[in-house]
Amino acid sequence: MDNFQKKFVEEATDLINNLEEALLTLEKKPGDKDLIAAVFRIMHSLKGGGGMFGFDAISNFTHNLETIYDEVRNDRLKITEDLLSITFSAVDHLRNLLNPEALNDKIIKKNHDTLLAKVAQVLKRMSNPESKIQQDSSDNLVGSNEKTYFLQFTPNESIMDNGTNPLFLIEELCGFGTSLIFPRLHKVPLISKLDTNKCYTSWEIFLATEKSAGQLKEVFIFVEDDSQLEIIKLADFNLLTDKDTIEEIEKQFESKDNIDINELNEFVNELDIKRKNLKVTVKEKLNSFTKENIISSIRVDSDKIDQLMNLVSELVTTQASLSLYVEEKQVYELNQLSENIENITRQLRDTAFSISLIPIETMLTRFHRLIRDLSVEFNKNIEFITEGAETELDKTLVQGLTDPLMHIIRNSVDHGIEPEKERIEKGKTPQGMIYLKAYYSGAHVVIKIQDDGKGIDLDVVKKKAIEKNYITADAQLTDKEILDLIFIPGFSTAENITDVSGRGVGMDVVKKKIDEIRGTVDLESKRNIGTTITIKLPLTLSIIDGLLVEINDTKYVMPLNLVDKIYAVQHEKFVKAYNNLVIIDGEQIPFYNLRNEFSVVGQPLEMEQLVTVKYEDKRVGLVVDNVIGEYQAVLKPLGKLYINHDIISGATILGDGTIALVLDTNKIIHEFSFKN
Amino acid sequence: MIDEEIVQSLNSYLSFQLGDEFFAVHVSKVLNILELIPITKVPKSHDSIVGVINLRGSVLAVVDIRVKFKLAHSEYTKDTCILVLQVLIGDEYVDVGAIVDSVHSVLEVDENQILPPLSVGVKYKSEFITGIVKNNERFVMILDIDKFYNLENFTSQVEEIAAD
Repeated sequence: MDNFQKKFVEEATDLINNLEEALLTLEKKPGDKDLIAAVFRIMHSLKGGGGMFGFDAISNFTHNLETIYDEVRNDRLKITEDLLSITFSAVDHLRNLLNPEALNDKIIKKNHDTLLAKVAQVLKRMSNPESKIQQDSSDNLVGSNEKTYFLQFTPNESIMDNGTNPLFLIEELCGFGTSLIFPRLHKVPLISKLDTNKCYTSWEIFLATEKSAGQLKEVFIFVEDDSQLEIIKLADFNLLTDKDTIEEIEKQFESKDNIDINELNEFVNELDIKRKNLKVTVKEKLNSFTKENIISSIRVDSDKIDQLMNLVSELVTTQASLSLYVEEKQVYELNQLSENIENITRQLRDTAFSISLIPIETMLTRFHRLIRDLSVEFNKNIEFITEGAETELDKTLVQGLTDPLMHIIRNSVDHGIEPEKERIEKGKTPQGMIYLKAYYSGAHVVIKIQDDGKGIDLDVVKKKAIEKNYITADAQLTDKEILDLIFIPGFSTAENITDVSGRGVGMDVVKKKIDEIRGTVDLESKRNIGTTITIKLPLTLSIIDGLLVEINDTKYVMPLNLVDKIYAVQHEKFVKAYNNLVIIDGEQIPFYNLRNEFSVVGQPLEMEQLVTVKYEDKRVGLVVDNVIGEYQAVLKPLGKLYINHDIISGATILGDGTIALVLDTNKIIHEFSFKN
Repeated sequence: MIDEEIVQSLNSYLSFQLGDEFFAVHVSKVLNILELIPITKVPKSHDSIVGVINLRGSVLAVVDIRVKFKLAHSEYTKDTCILVLQVLIGDEYVDVGAIVDSVHSVLEVDENQILPPLSVGVKYKSEFITGIVKNNERFVMILDIDKFYNLENFTSQVEEIAAD
């Protein structure tokens, strides 16, 4: 595949995703003209691109689809569920076709032929006029960038002397959009006095187009001196889509010799008010979809972004050494400079980080689709509601998050939401709901997936745990502890394993995946009310706010968000402590002396620092020599040799060029508590 | 830029000293020779990994070959260096630092001058040694650094520690 083709595949993948998204929205609002137009447009781009870059299969295949949606667009065909289903399968198939060799695969080829046959069938049925839809005039006025202009073009009589044909100009103008033209012939003399080399006609044109007034003016650029031209913008929308309006215009202005501009404006204003009353509600709903198309963006290779991030990380580190140097040497002249650089660096860092953030919206389409398909498969009626789709996350996080979320949603559809009949019996709404909400919370992003299904049966979980020997039969567990059992590897409560949820992987894999991206999972479930899974993630993987501490000259960083409090405690207290518990603020706190745990040689200090960190819902103390202060750590991997070393999540380079190790306090406490 | 293939085809080996013994690695494996700088120890790691250093903004793990060869630890001197080696671990090239007592010279060795390693009565596991070269009345052992740094050599013991 050459470079251009690769580029096309990249672009086409985006187009196909957009298409899927548009189709999903269309399913909810089948009459929406803008959406249909969008669908058509995307198909058209796919067809064009496919043909240009040698993806003939895509080009041919999309051509047929495009024909269907052209008919839909022109109101000759109605959107039906059947049609959407075919289109959805076609979208999936298009993804396959992105591989130029796809049709050599027998299964794909068969699928290709079946789909082509289905599409052909639709096209055939189309010639049946019965499926014509009623035109809904209210839909026509919405959206798009079309504006309506009024042009008065009065050529001088001599305009044809240098070979200009004003009709060509009018024709060109009409090519820009929809138009309504009134030729004004009142100046044309009697035939006896008529000079065929002169132009007597002037034109008044209503034009609805996406072009700007300047672009319209350009049409007349060569006749500027030979004519009078007036362009007035009448409205920010297309006036000419509505039959009533056109009739009105015709009635008002056709018979006149000349249109009075004031009269015209008044007329438009009236129309505008009418239209606004009608449109406000519809327009708001549409915003979410059209907004995306307006945002201008560029495509950047993700490697380049990674590279940029690395450079910025290095800059942050270098800048820290500069600050340190200035502070040590007390160079006054450099002080100001260093501060400036620090400022710029911080801004650059923030910008660079924001570049690598993508909204979680990018993965939501997939979930919409998943739920749609699964609901059909399981014959369940489910609505998927999302909130905070614009919440942004580091792209690597989004990548790591898709699979676990997919799994959670599958679980909700399969085990959570009950069939319609059962729901009605329980007095619930017949339609089940899966609710995904994302929001920022401090330096974290929280993603909540909630369903209103039957919830998790604690008794079943407990029974199973006893069966599998995870707990003893007489164990006294709180509800939360029972729920946490689900995260034990190999634990799956599904009675009958289905294709959807039981693939031998369960919530333990979800937890592991989320752990990998330094997030946490929390599960809440109420019988017959539903299940809520809360995932908490760091905003970015590469920078953390940390607390810099020291043990025997080696520096460590603890994630600041987990640090609770710092206490100065005499070493003796720890030595005398019974059962690794120390009493602080009247509270018993379990502690681990990192000096011992890390087998550090050397004498402990008389006065040590106890840093309490949050662990699950407890406070646990970690004893260090000194606390140096807050530090923004650029996280660097320790490298391949430390691949199984998970109590250290990485290293960071300090201002003086030495390395501090970033501690994963959760893992440390987990490991030490297991050991003891 | 020097062509990778040319470097590969060179018959040059960098010799260095560990205790009383002389070793050599192919020059294509050596990226850099650093003087000894403070090394940050990583707790709970394998004995033969000394720790990490800052190599121009990235983190480089440093290992002590002595531990592997069960040589006695010696004090660091002004001759002690860190060789930055490019090592194949799994199917990926990874930069690794190695502490050596001193770096000697680059030896030009003809293919036919390399003697096969002895398989009987040797102190060192011959799997790491590809051959022996005689140089100035001294025997220099050529190390197969890729085998030496085989990932399992390190991780297995880390797991043992974690399992304790």
